[in-house]
Amino acid sequence: MTEPAVLLSNVTKIFPVPFQRRPVVALRDLDLEVAAGQIYGLLGPNGSGKSTTLKIILGLVTPTRGKAQVFGRDSDRVASHESVGYLPESPDFYKYLTGEETLRFYGKLCSLRGARLKNRVGELLALVGLTSAAGRRLSGYSKGMLQRIGLAQALIQEPALLILDEPTAGVDPAGTREIRDLILDLKGRGITVLLSSHLLGQVQEICDRVGILANGVLVREGSLSDLLGVENQTQIILENASPALINKIGDLAGGSRARLVKCGPPQTSLEGLFLEATQAPGGKGGSKPS
Amino acid sequence: MNEGHHAFSFFRVAAITGATLRGLARLKTFYVLLLFALLLIGNSIFMAQMTFQQEFQVLKDIALGAMSVFSSLLAVLATARLLPQDIDDRTASTILAKPVSRFEYLAGKLLGALLLLAISLAAMSALFFLVLTVREQWVLRETVRQMSAAPPDQLSEALRLVRASALNPNLLAGIAIIYVKACLLASLTLFVSTFATTSIFTMIVMAFVYFIGHLQAVAREFWLQTHSAGWISQTFLGLVALFFPDLQLFTLTDDVVAGNAIPMTVLAQIVTLGLFYTGFYLLLAWSVFFRKEL
Repeated sequence: MTEPAVLLSNVTKIFPVPFQRRPVVALRDLDLEVAAGQIYGLLGPNGSGKSTTLKIILGLVTPTRGKAQVFGRDSDRVASHESVGYLPESPDFYKYLTGEETLRFYGKLCSLRGARLKNRVGELLALVGLTSAAGRRLSGYSKGMLQRIGLAQALIQEPALLILDEPTAGVDPAGTREIRDLILDLKGRGITVLLSSHLLGQVQEICDRVGILANGVLVREGSLSDLLGVENQTQIILENASPALINKIGDLAGGSRARLVKCGPPQTSLEGLFLEATQAPGGKGGSKPS
Repeated sequence: MNEGHHAFSFFRVAAITGATLRGLARLKTFYVLLLFALLLIGNSIFMAQMTFQQEFQVLKDIALGAMSVFSSLLAVLATARLLPQDIDDRTASTILAKPVSRFEYLAGKLLGALLLLAISLAAMSALFFLVLTVREQWVLRETVRQMSAAPPDQLSEALRLVRASALNPNLLAGIAIIYVKACLLASLTLFVSTFATTSIFTMIVMAFVYFIGHLQAVAREFWLQTHSAGWISQTFLGLVALFFPDLQLFTLTDDVVAGNAIPMTVLAQIVTLGLFYTGFYLLLAWSVFFRKEL
């Protein structure tokens, strides 16, 4: 059996609050398993414990109780970090370094050097589309560019697990789509991705499996099809259907035990509509959103 | 992925040191050096009316004093922001999410600050020696001109006196003591910043520590003279002496200005003590930072 990429067993995290008797329970008896090769989405409202979970996996926060493992190694061991890449929410790297210097710096932290480091930096700059901005200081980078250089630094040592905390926070829809495509590309390369987000549409598009946290408790967990499928309903999408045809379908349904719940044009996501409108020539959008 | 992780790597520490030094060098700390340079140059013009012994003594006094004050200030100001800034910006998280131990991270940060102090002190020393050499050459020329009619042995004695009052190896010992004191203060500042909530708090604590460090030896002597030295008071005083270094020991630069030589054994003792405290505070910083939630 393959080792899970992440395994949390009965993890509880309690943060004491100075001068207050009642501490904050950030996570309560959390059991979580992320299989290797998956894209796993951790969902939840602000303060639900998503970031704390990720930080425990990274060894940045110590659980009060329970155990966290990455590919079978305890996450508080520095050696376990060799197989993990991490992009925090809204990262601020050393602004006085250029994009290339930033990647070289993080590469050196992973003991890369010489030609291997140089080649890896070049590869990653190309992967995230920042080759032309490699010599520019990060102080001149846009939010989207910072996220992309952040993603590149997370990948510098070719990790088997990539942890992304709100990877598209503050990024415009075009940038969001680029990051999404990049994540899917990484999955194709066999990298496990664990991401936290509260952008449900984005998670729905790319994740194989999701867990939903609320008040530090994992309230739902499973594959997207399992979680989102409504077992007793069937969706029928028709193109150019006449009102007569729709009535006929309604009649057919009425003749059985089934009931026509809703009938109307399917809706696109807001992101799709925005991209269609802003990226089409002239900005007017020539075709209907898909 | 990389083969075999080593618990400690100078290569990783050097990477953090390099990035820290670059960040610090972009701060306005080098304006301090400019101020120092102006002070020295202005000072040498002002002292043209004095005798050469007075002039060299005052020049050394002001230069070494300024070096001590500015390097101490630089040590505290440059180090106080290192950790809080990295934590606020989440840069610390991205670094420690790599195979980097918290000790390596702290050591790299501290070494970056110590390197900045070394560069600053080297630049200040170079300027100081330059001004001193220029003044020395001017005084030598003047002496030769004024004593052109004097017997050769009198002239050579006068020139020897001028040279002895200007540049001498004791100045290097004085500068070494200033550097070690700055290293100690930087390390102590790093330790305070591991548990301080703000940089301002760190600086305030350091101001208190600075005064306690300078006064504790006197206070200890006074206490022991006026009270019986029971084990409780001795333990308390011992702990104070351990946690607050006796900064008064580092005022030996006054002797250098006065022209007294610092014996090598004394210099070695002070340097060893300073380096011990620098390492001790680094370990204390690590013991707090080890479990810090980032």
